[in-house]
Amino acid sequence: MKGRRALLLDPRVRFATLVGPGALFIVLFLLIPLLSIVVFSFWRTESYELISDWNVNNYEAVLGEWIYLKFLLKSLAMAAAVSAICLVYAWPCAYLIAKHGGRYKLVLVLLTAAPFLTGILLRITAMQQILGPIGLVNMALMELGAQPIQVLMYTNIASAVGLIYLWIPFMLLAIYLSLFNFNFELLEVAKVNGARPWRAFFEVTWPLNWMGTAIGIVLVFIPTFAASVTPRFLGGPDGSMFVNRLEHQFGSAGTWALGSAMGVVMCVASLAVIFVLWRTVRLRRAGFTGAGA
Amino acid sequence: MDKTNSKSNSVPHQKRRVSRRSVLKGAAALTAAGFTWKSIGPFVRNAEAATLELRWLGWEHYNVKSLTAEFENRHDVKVSAGFFDGNSEAWNKLRAGGTQDFDLVMADGFWPRLYAKQGLVQAVDYSKLDLSNVFDDFVPPKFTLLRAEDSEDMIAAPNCWGGYGFTVNTDKVAAEDQESVNLLFNEKYEGHLSTSARFEENIALAGILAAHNMGTQDGPRPDGKSFNPYVLSDEELEECKRLLIKQKGLLVNRWNDEDTLERLLRAQVVWASPEWSGIYRRIHFDKLDGKSDLNMRHVLKPTEGGLGWVDQWSITSGVTDSEKLEIAHKWIDFRLEREAMKTVAVEIGWAPTVDVRDMLPERYVDTLFLNETGSIHGLYQFDAPSSPEKWERIWSAVEAA
Repeated sequence: MKGRRALLLDPRVRFATLVGPGALFIVLFLLIPLLSIVVFSFWRTESYELISDWNVNNYEAVLGEWIYLKFLLKSLAMAAAVSAICLVYAWPCAYLIAKHGGRYKLVLVLLTAAPFLTGILLRITAMQQILGPIGLVNMALMELGAQPIQVLMYTNIASAVGLIYLWIPFMLLAIYLSLFNFNFELLEVAKVNGARPWRAFFEVTWPLNWMGTAIGIVLVFIPTFAASVTPRFLGGPDGSMFVNRLEHQFGSAGTWALGSAMGVVMCVASLAVIFVLWRTVRLRRAGFTGAGA
Repeated sequence: MDKTNSKSNSVPHQKRRVSRRSVLKGAAALTAAGFTWKSIGPFVRNAEAATLELRWLGWEHYNVKSLTAEFENRHDVKVSAGFFDGNSEAWNKLRAGGTQDFDLVMADGFWPRLYAKQGLVQAVDYSKLDLSNVFDDFVPPKFTLLRAEDSEDMIAAPNCWGGYGFTVNTDKVAAEDQESVNLLFNEKYEGHLSTSARFEENIALAGILAAHNMGTQDGPRPDGKSFNPYVLSDEELEECKRLLIKQKGLLVNRWNDEDTLERLLRAQVVWASPEWSGIYRRIHFDKLDGKSDLNMRHVLKPTEGGLGWVDQWSITSGVTDSEKLEIAHKWIDFRLEREAMKTVAVEIGWAPTVDVRDMLPERYVDTLFLNETGSIHGLYQFDAPSSPEKWERIWSAVEAA
């Protein structure tokens, strides 16, 4: 009995017990499938058949040929644009809720997540009803005798609008949670010391909440980069994104090896974005004390 | 006498007393036993009592619940279904071990032959099927795709048929343009055209026009066979690419679901699009019922040639048990019954390969083209692209343009 208790008190055993199940889950359901994708990406496909003929042709195609590289760059640009717009929109909203929301703070934040009470397809269909050629906006314009807005009809702009609508709650929530713990009295101190409101914002509020903002950017950037349903339904004939091309390889085209290489490139690009953002976070500057920094 | 003694005297067998802890222990043990039995129950039942299960892989719309229930009651079996969106997806599923997961698979056009070549399906015993009501146009000798390419084995049984023609708004599209594949590439209709997102059929339709324009459609083919829009030369594929890139600028969208196209056609935003004829039928029925003023037609076979399909049931090579094989044949036979085919025609709107014209209202006979079954022979059957890799590159180039 004593021996067992001693074993349980051993920090290494406790660490292994706590971390083990999670680590096993990640190894089984994330690392092994990812590893198989990496292996497939160095093979080739012929008439729907994977052939273990090791080569780097798939990577040459994805990174070297415009017909694939264009989609990678387009998706990165779309993700950056959507993240930037979400950021500009969500910051003032989150700020107002956190500072002036009073006892309705939680309700207001939850309201922003109301669209999540339905499925993504329903939300996209709703967007079609608003943005499409026979959507609310254009029908109303036509009723008033005006020309319909062409950019809202099955275009990349329509895709972007749909994506912004989908992911804004994530950005808003991340920034709000950061501001929730922010001491607004610091702004008064800055003001007392002669700082104008904008300077106080950029030198106090923004850096102290950068971690929440960075998390918000990651939460919007990655799903936008990986979005497939929204561009497919709102994007029109020119709306295909990198993930749509990737899906195509695993779907009707059956070119799994090329699709695997696209998957690996996508994973690396996503990790690179997270890494870059992580490098910009200064835990001490952000007022984070949890890591003993 | 203290309280303890008094208690022990009044209860002589104190060790057997039912304490709260023992009740909780017992309840926990019972719950655990219940959960254990619940989880392993399905695996330890008596094999003799197990119900035979028939599993089919096909298009979801063929999963007609009333038909499944009737078959299950009639034969005391359980029928379950898995679904796919296109032949290549089903092909990939079967290649990845799906012959052990599914007893029957649906396919159309040349696909059953591809399955047979790969040993994914087995022969269908026609002596177990009542084909007496099937139109001659859908069984050998007129329709040969049900037979293996290299033997006399029948590898599939017919189910439904149709084309991939164009639904055209006749008030908007000039009569002289309505019957040509060129309609889908005609600049006159810029901003009012749509196509599906299916890359194979987009390339194949462009391939028909490309070969027609290049004069290679009726000439000798590199493979020695007659023209097949799924087996295109490199020059024809280049021409397809050019046509499809030009087409991109003319399209409203590439539809992923029929609902979207139907809304656009009804709102007269889209004037012409390839589709399976179901949307045309619904709009046309509304016109007949006085609910719509739209004048639509469906061009089953364009002048340059069109795409068609006869979807079929095949039995996978994973079925080795004689009882399962028997029930698989019974399922195919059941689905070929006139009553079942009538249900399919009316409820899901696909044209049966069985003659049920006397059981259907005239409007169904007309719009399901049941008086024109012979036109299937003039349509190029759905097939696998000769080189999926080349076709993928062409499509990626079109998408990137």
